[in-house]
Amino acid sequence: MSDPTASAEQPLPGQNHFVADIEQTPLEATGTVDTTEAPKSQWKEAWKVLKGNWLFWVSAVLLLFILVIVIVPGLFSGVDPRSADLSKSLQGPQSGHPFGFDKQGYDVYSRVIHGARASVVVGLLTTIIVMIIGIITGALAGYYGRWVDAFVSRVTDIFFAIPLLLAAIVGLSALNNIWPDRGYWGGVIAVVIALAAFGWPQFTRIARGAVLEIKHLEFVDASKAIGSSQMKTLFSHIIPNSLAPVIVTATVSLGVYIVAEATLSFLGIGLPSSIVSWGNDIAAAQSQVRTGSNLHVLLFPAGGLALTVLSFMLLGDAVRDALDPKVRK
Amino acid sequence: MWGYIARRLLQTIPVVLGATLLIYAMVFLQPGDPIVALFGEKPVSETARAQIEAQYHLDQPFIVQWLLFLKGAMVGDFGLSYSGQPVSDLIARALPVTFQLAFMALVIEAVLGVIAGFYAGLRRGKIFDSTMLVVSLIVIAIPIFVLGFTMQLVFGVQLGWVPPTVGGNVTFTNLVLPAVVLGLVSFAYVLRLTRTSVIENLGADHVRTALAHGVPRTQVNRRHVLRNSMIPVVTYLGADLGTLMGGAVVTEGIFNINGIGNLAYQAILRGENPTVVSVVTVMVLIYVVMSLLVDLLYAALDPRIRYV
Repeated sequence: MSDPTASAEQPLPGQNHFVADIEQTPLEATGTVDTTEAPKSQWKEAWKVLKGNWLFWVSAVLLLFILVIVIVPGLFSGVDPRSADLSKSLQGPQSGHPFGFDKQGYDVYSRVIHGARASVVVGLLTTIIVMIIGIITGALAGYYGRWVDAFVSRVTDIFFAIPLLLAAIVGLSALNNIWPDRGYWGGVIAVVIALAAFGWPQFTRIARGAVLEIKHLEFVDASKAIGSSQMKTLFSHIIPNSLAPVIVTATVSLGVYIVAEATLSFLGIGLPSSIVSWGNDIAAAQSQVRTGSNLHVLLFPAGGLALTVLSFMLLGDAVRDALDPKVRK
Repeated sequence: MWGYIARRLLQTIPVVLGATLLIYAMVFLQPGDPIVALFGEKPVSETARAQIEAQYHLDQPFIVQWLLFLKGAMVGDFGLSYSGQPVSDLIARALPVTFQLAFMALVIEAVLGVIAGFYAGLRRGKIFDSTMLVVSLIVIAIPIFVLGFTMQLVFGVQLGWVPPTVGGNVTFTNLVLPAVVLGLVSFAYVLRLTRTSVIENLGADHVRTALAHGVPRTQVNRRHVLRNSMIPVVTYLGADLGTLMGGAVVTEGIFNINGIGNLAYQAILRGENPTVVSVVTVMVLIYVVMSLLVDLLYAALDPRIRYV
C-alpha cells in the first residue's frame, strides 16, 4: 500500500512535466468572454457584411427608386402614356418630353415610367410563387427522403426537361384560348402563371440540397429530442436554416424573369399590346430603328429594363457574398 | 459503368413520358376545335370532319391520342401536320440548322467564358476581373433580342460585314453572328461560374499543398485549379444545349433562320398541335441525352467519381 500523503508530492501518473497553477494560465481570460450573450444569427452576420458593401447600397437605392416608380408612376410623369399625337411622330427628345416620341406619337418618357409596373410585378410575383413552391416541395423531398424524394425529384426532372421559354410560349397560347380578354392584371397574372409553372423546379432542387445538408445537424436532433413534431421541426428549424441559397438564387431569378417577360412580349405572346410595358415598347421599337435612326425609341425602354435587371443582379451578388462564407475574402 | 448507364437510361423513361404527356395536355386539352381552325371561313362537311378526326385520332380519348403519338414517335414517325406534311420531315429539315447554330453558340460561350472566367478568378479584384464582371452583368441585363437587333443593325446593316438575315442561305460564316447573339447570355453565366469556382479552388487545401511541394504556379493553376473548376461549368454547359435550342426561338426570329425554334414558334401561333408536341419531344430527348453525357464526363474530370 502506498502512503497517500507521499503521493501528493510524487507526480501523478502521466504528469511528468511542469503544470502551472490555474492563476498563472491565460485561461483566466475566459472570464472576459460573455457566455450569456446570444450567438449572432447567420442573418445578423450577413447584414454586417452587407452593410459594408457599396454595391449593395447602390442596388438598394436604385431598387427603392424603381419601386416608387412602380407604385406611383404619376409622381414622375403627368403625361398619359396612352395619348398619341401623330403630329409628333418619331420626334427626338425635347423640353417637356426628355425621351422624345415614338412612331405613334406616344411620349416615350411617360411610357418608360408607366411600363415599369408590368415588368417589375411579373418579376416579383413569379419569384415569390416559385420560391414558395420550391421551398415547400424541396424541403419535403429533402426531409422525408425515400418515396417523397423520388417522386418530387422525378417531377422536377420532367419540368426541367422542357426548355423554359418554349414551355412558357405553349402555356401562354393555351391561356390565351382558355382565358381571353383578361385586362391589365389578368394579362400580368397569365404571364406569371406561365413562367412560374416551369420555373419552380430550379428552387425545389436548391432547397432540397440545402435541407439535405443540414438535416443531420445537432439542432435538428435537439428539436426532435425536446418533443417537437416533425412539422414544427421542419418549419421552424430546418426551413429557416436552409433559406440562404434560395434567397441568393431568387434575387438573380427576379432579373431573369423580368427579361423573360420582355422576351415573351417581344414574341407577341406575353402581355397584350394594350398593356404599357417595356417588352411591348421594345418590340414595337424594333421596326422603327431598322435603319439606325430614331434610336431613342429603343434606347430608353431597353435602358429602363436593363437598369432594373442590373440592380437585381447586383443585389443578388451582394447578398451571395454576404451569405456564402466560401467566397468571402 | 455499363450498369450505371443502363440505370440512368431507365430513369429517363419516366422523364420523357412525363414531359411529353405534360406538353401534350397543354396543347391538346384546350378549348377550341382545330378542325374549324383548319378550315377557316369555309363550312366543314360532316364526312370531311369524320375523315380528318380519324386521320389525326381526334375522335379518340386524349390519353389514347398520346399513346398513339408515342407509338409513332418511337420509330421516328411524328404523324402529319395539319397542313399535310410529315412532321418528321419538317423536323429533319430544321433540326440540323438549329443544331449547328446551338453548337456554335456553345463552343463560343464555353471557350470565351472559361478563358475569361479563369483569368478573372486568378486576378480577383483587379481591373480585368472588374471589367469582366461588369460586362457579364450588362450582357445578362439587356434582353437577348435587344442585343440581337442592335448587332444586326451594326454588323449587318451599317457595316455590312455579314448579311443581316440568313434565310435559306445557311453557311458557317452566316451563322457566326446569330451564334454569338445566342451564346452571349450563357457566356456571361459561364464566365461568372468559372470565376467563382476558380476563386473557391484557389483557397483549397490541395492547391496549397501542390504549391508547397514546389509545383510551379502556372502548372498548379492549369492542372489543379482549372480542372477542378470545370465540374460545375460542364454541368451548366450540358444543360445549356437544351436552353440554347429553346432560346433559338428569339435568335432565329431576328435573323430569319429556318430552324427548330422558328418551326416551334410558328406552329404554336398557327395551332399546329402535332408539330408543337413533336418539336418539344425532340428537345426533351436532346436534353435527356445531354444530361447523361454530362454525368459520364464527370468521371473524366473528377477521378474521385466512380460509377457502380
